[in-house]
Amino acid sequence: MSALATLETGLLLGLYALLAGIWGVLWALAQVRQAPIFGRSAAAAYGLHILAALTIILWTPLGFGWKCLIVGSSLVFFVMPWMTWRFLQHTHQNGGSEHDRKPSQHSGRVVARL
Amino acid sequence: MYFDDPVFWRAGAISTIAVMSIVLIMLTIDSLSAISPGGSHVPPYTVINQHIDYKFDSNRGFDVPVISGAEPLIDRGKMVIQSRACIDCHTFFGNGAYYAPDLTKAWLDPDWEAWQAVTGADTREGAMVKFLMDPEQYRTWTRTMPNLGVSEEEAQALVAYLKWMSAVDTNGFPPNFNQIEQRR
Amino acid sequence: MYRSQTLALKYFSAAMTLFGIMTVSGLIAAYYYLNPDFLFGILPFNIAKILHINTLVIWLLMGFMGSIYWFLPEELGRETAGIRAAEVLFYVFCAAVAVVAVVFIFVQYGGSDEAALWLINQGRKYVEAPRWAALGIVVIMVVFAYNVMGTAIAARKTTGIITVLMIDLIPLILLYLIAFPAISNMSADLFWWWWLVHLWVEATWEVLIGCIMALALMQLLGTSRRIVETWLYIEVALVLGTGILGLGHHYFWIGTPNYWLTIGGFFSALEPLPLLGMVVHAVYDAGAQHMKTTNRPALYWMMAEAFGNFIGAGVWGFMITLPQVNLYAHGTQWTVSHGHFAFWGAYGCGVISVLYLVLQKTRNLAFVDGPRWKWSFAALNLGLVGMTGALLVAGFVQAFVERAIGGSTLNAFISGQENAWFVDGMVARFLLAIVFTAGYVVLVWDVLTVGRRAPAVAAVAPAQ
Repeated sequence: MSALATLETGLLLGLYALLAGIWGVLWALAQVRQAPIFGRSAAAAYGLHILAALTIILWTPLGFGWKCLIVGSSLVFFVMPWMTWRFLQHTHQNGGSEHDRKPSQHSGRVVARL
Repeated sequence: MYFDDPVFWRAGAISTIAVMSIVLIMLTIDSLSAISPGGSHVPPYTVINQHIDYKFDSNRGFDVPVISGAEPLIDRGKMVIQSRACIDCHTFFGNGAYYAPDLTKAWLDPDWEAWQAVTGADTREGAMVKFLMDPEQYRTWTRTMPNLGVSEEEAQALVAYLKWMSAVDTNGFPPNFNQIEQRR
Repeated sequence: MYRSQTLALKYFSAAMTLFGIMTVSGLIAAYYYLNPDFLFGILPFNIAKILHINTLVIWLLMGFMGSIYWFLPEELGRETAGIRAAEVLFYVFCAAVAVVAVVFIFVQYGGSDEAALWLINQGRKYVEAPRWAALGIVVIMVVFAYNVMGTAIAARKTTGIITVLMIDLIPLILLYLIAFPAISNMSADLFWWWWLVHLWVEATWEVLIGCIMALALMQLLGTSRRIVETWLYIEVALVLGTGILGLGHHYFWIGTPNYWLTIGGFFSALEPLPLLGMVVHAVYDAGAQHMKTTNRPALYWMMAEAFGNFIGAGVWGFMITLPQVNLYAHGTQWTVSHGHFAFWGAYGCGVISVLYLVLQKTRNLAFVDGPRWKWSFAALNLGLVGMTGALLVAGFVQAFVERAIGGSTLNAFISGQENAWFVDGMVARFLLAIVFTAGYVVLVWDVLTVGRRAPAVAAVAPAQ
């Protein structure tokens, strides 16, 4: 296991995670802005993220288990923005009025137990 | 009578020899364990680094060896490290500050051979003690270690601590230690 | 204004002052790398570093306390319980910090005995403060916990956010007790020390800032309580779910068994996943409002928190968390790069965001904007990210020269430190630290003056 290759693996892992973040942000912006450029950029970012993942899997000296973790993480990174967005929309629809900021009143029993 | 029968005495001889031999073998196994270094009667060879004394034991009715000494040195060494905040310039097992070298394997560092000559010390321990007592006198490079008022006793405890630390199994940290030097 | 909120302002003032001391001591420590004789014999590197990292911890803690003292009475509808004790203890806290700092600077160290640990310097990273001061911090935190819990009891109610906060304060305070013992065995010392440091900054502090951000979001964006509570529980579950065993990523090389390499590496590799969710959430919140808000600096600093947390803690941490890479990167400037970015993104930005929210209320401003906060936002973030980048270069080079090819000896360390790329990295870091410092100065200027200079600005509605 070449030491330089190991260090370069570190940088690759950072790039991998960063591209996942860029994908998530651009995907979310595509939902907000409704302009095609964001959707296309998001797809490009995820494409680069997959490229980074493939480089890690095919070229770095990491063991089999860690490479499986990379594959699994890429799948989770792919669905995470969509899952988060859907759940955000769901909670905001069912979340009550925007100005419902007063403390809830149901906690008397909780406090009595304190 | 069976006393007159030579077969009786022959059987007696065989069984006596057998029993005594088995007892001897069992006692030998037990004794070998006791007399191996680290056993109940023979100390491990590392005792040469410890304080050895000879004191009366009232339970046994005679003098017995008393071995001690490593722990107080280690305790003192750690107190020196904490009181001088060494960890805020150096790292220990890679934890600390990054201005000065990692000390995990400092005891085993090949540089100390050269330092024996520079400090005029007979041993590696001596060189390390001299350095720690006045690092400003023995500048290693452009980043000087300050004089932290370390006494000789404290320096000896510190060196003992570094020696103990170098023997900890750190799963291979720091990597390649001294192997590249040895290959040269 | 509640007395608790007046106290909050005092805590924020103290926090901002300590932020300044952290910055100055950081500059000194950074300059030492460029000129090792600088202040040699007067203020050694380790003392400058101790001031830097201890003020880091205290300014953030004071920022958290200020935030809670601000939100608590409105959240529970009454004055904070035990407020008088808290008011007195604030001054005790400040005095103690001052005494500890003066002793660090002018006495520096004592002999290898208990007296030195009790009075001068305990010499364990982040918790160097002498035992008498550590005892004082325990008292202050216990009273703080009483302030929170006592208010809930007196008000005969609690909220989801306050309940999470109350539960979180218990392990937070108990973990601090690890600051007291002097353990001879370095492996055992570091084992427990990491319980304190990691389970503070990657567990209990994450929950604490989560509670504060939840309270702030309700005010900043008018988000409903049910939504912030739901997301708080999700965040707590994910962060603690990955962070508790993620503690193992500190147990690779300290003499612990090697099953930690797999456990620690695996769980901490999962840590960026929830942080991506947080970033998406931030875009949702910003987008839903079309970045329209009556408090632009508060919103921007909160966005910086979400992004800084993901990149500084998530991405930068991910680079060095796998044991194969960590073997070379451990204890190098690569670690420093990650540490600076993570602390800033996860905590610094959040506290500044709340500060602006508080200012809007105390100065009765309909709208908070202006050029100054933008300059400080740019300078602080560019300075910090720039420092991080410079340290990444220096750290990568150090890992390669010192560890990979140098043989990790004393001489190898020197070779790494004298490498041209390393030196350039440290020079660049220092220059960017000056940019960061300029940002701090403008931040203080803005905080002191926003809404006070031009009353017309305060009354003007947002242009968008």
